[in-house]
Amino acid sequence: MSKLVLMLMMAAPLVAQSARDIVAESQKRAQANSQRYEGTLEVIDAKRKITMKRWIYERLGSAGEAKAVLRFTDPPEVKGVALLIHNHPDRASDQWMWTPAVQRDRRIAFQDRRTRFFGTDFTFEDLEERDVDRSTYKMLGEEAIEGAACWRIEATPKPDARSQYSRVLLWVRKSDYVVAQVESYRAAKLVRRLKYTQIERVQGIWTARTLDMHDVERDSRTILKLEKLEYNVALPEGQFTLQALRRLS
Amino acid sequence: MRYLVFLLALPLAAQTFEQRGYLETRSFFYPREVEGDSANYVGEALARWESSWQLRANLRLNVWLDGRFDTHRQFEREARLDFADQRQQRPAASARRISLLWNKGGWTLETGRQFIRWGKADLLNPTDRFAPRDFLNVFTPEFLGITAVRATYERGSDTMDLVYAPVFTPSRSPLLNQRWVVLPEEARGLPIEDQGFRLPDRAQAGARWNHLGSGYEFSLSFFDGFNHLPLIDATPRLVPTPGLGVERYFARMRMYGADVAAPTRWFTLKGEAAYFTSTTPEADEYVQYVVQAERMVAEWVFVGGYAGEQITNLRNPLDFAPDRGITKTFLGRVSYNIDPLSSAAFEGALRQNGAGFYGKWEYSRMAGRHWRWSAGFVLIRGEPDDFLGQFRENSHAIFTLRYSF
Repeated sequence: MSKLVLMLMMAAPLVAQSARDIVAESQKRAQANSQRYEGTLEVIDAKRKITMKRWIYERLGSAGEAKAVLRFTDPPEVKGVALLIHNHPDRASDQWMWTPAVQRDRRIAFQDRRTRFFGTDFTFEDLEERDVDRSTYKMLGEEAIEGAACWRIEATPKPDARSQYSRVLLWVRKSDYVVAQVESYRAAKLVRRLKYTQIERVQGIWTARTLDMHDVERDSRTILKLEKLEYNVALPEGQFTLQALRRLS
Repeated sequence: MRYLVFLLALPLAAQTFEQRGYLETRSFFYPREVEGDSANYVGEALARWESSWQLRANLRLNVWLDGRFDTHRQFEREARLDFADQRQQRPAASARRISLLWNKGGWTLETGRQFIRWGKADLLNPTDRFAPRDFLNVFTPEFLGITAVRATYERGSDTMDLVYAPVFTPSRSPLLNQRWVVLPEEARGLPIEDQGFRLPDRAQAGARWNHLGSGYEFSLSFFDGFNHLPLIDATPRLVPTPGLGVERYFARMRMYGADVAAPTRWFTLKGEAAYFTSTTPEADEYVQYVVQAERMVAEWVFVGGYAGEQITNLRNPLDFAPDRGITKTFLGRVSYNIDPLSSAAFEGALRQNGAGFYGKWEYSRMAGRHWRWSAGFVLIRGEPDDFLGQFRENSHAIFTLRYSF
């Protein structure tokens, strides 16, 4: 009898793990003080023409309060163009774009965030972090992605989150809580599918080294490969300000 | 020579070295000949190199150099490296930016030749007082660097900017013997002698406070110095032959300005206004403002607005003032990304009384990693006494080819 009670007690956390808890656990496991990588982007348009871009991404903090700078290094004509992102747990992020040719920063307004970021298939909103409490979650079941068993979870942004998406489907791997796929919907229509592949353990954090974003409406894709990826690197806070954008232009 | 050796040795000593730049040729085709300038074709070539050395963790050296050549003698032919941009022609070789930039905590200090941009609007910037421009072609102005010390202190969402500019850099106005100077009827046919600049001998200073709010930002600014756009002193002379001597000089200017950007539900609203006073007896005093709305929708970017002016003290100056020339005007710009490689854009200005119109259409395409070409057409229409309309004979086509590295 006592054995049965013990087994039930041990199983209880697994049963009680809600969709929200899974997403929170996924975020928690990916948490690091900072992150830096060099990204190679392959943009494949509907006519299968390929353009390449490169950027350096640096992030300080995590879980909805991070600050990030993304700086283009290639092609040469956009070298130095940078995006500064200040995430907030309770509202949409603040974003500024720096254009070296005119030596000016420009605030990216909230209503402009659904537009594509510099010819890629990522929108400005896709580049911001979302705090787990800015959506409500519903468990839809289980489904395998690339052979890995996953939870299939529906996330609906809360009205104050003011997202371009009306709902988002997440596939979270059961083995390591890594997000394997995200589908983003506007009304009932699928607009973007993001696949996370080449999942490896980097400095103790399970990380997808390849992100494949498919803009379903345009039938174009952007494949982002993370190179020279490092976590917990020393990044000074002063590097994530508007003045730093100007200084490093 | 020693200076050059020093520059070449720097990459070896520096922690990091970054560079970018491009080689560009621009061709202008003017269908109409005008009085005093019969050229239908003007070609320009530009080599631009922008480099920076991170000498120490908090010390950076920026060196940006230009080399130019053209077919129309708008550029000097003298072999020298220009550091001040104070001459009437564009220098053949110039240092656009040579500055040391130091930062610690919230402080940033930049000393030397540099670019300083104030204001938030895109169509016209009344508060952008430390940003002279090259107006040789009037409608394709390029910013010029200035020699200054700039101290910026950033704390949280507030930034204070203090600028001291001991050396004056004027905006470059069109050359008197070329198509972008339209002489009044009574002066046509008279020989004109360009007597150059009379440059101010006093330093300029300014301060700007910028605040970033939640979803909005604004700033207040103050400037005490000189207008970088010239007043014109035209003196008739009788000997050795009857003619006109033209000298440019620069009015004292004090500016009190403000700018704001506030995203609304449908578009981002930007506004900028400045009140200008002057102790120069020939210079007007006035308020200049711009209100604009901008929006990105899918592959489209729309910017549209109105620039206005209210003169508070009219002194009827003879001047070259393209900033004032596009006030009382509706301004707009639309661009469309056709695909990841190509885009199309239109920008236009229409005077509120319909007396002048400027429109530019442009198609641009990238070829490979390095090359981009663009082709465009500029249409100018209007009355001879309107700022835009006076250039109605100068509609033209442009072809640009650029190799970026």
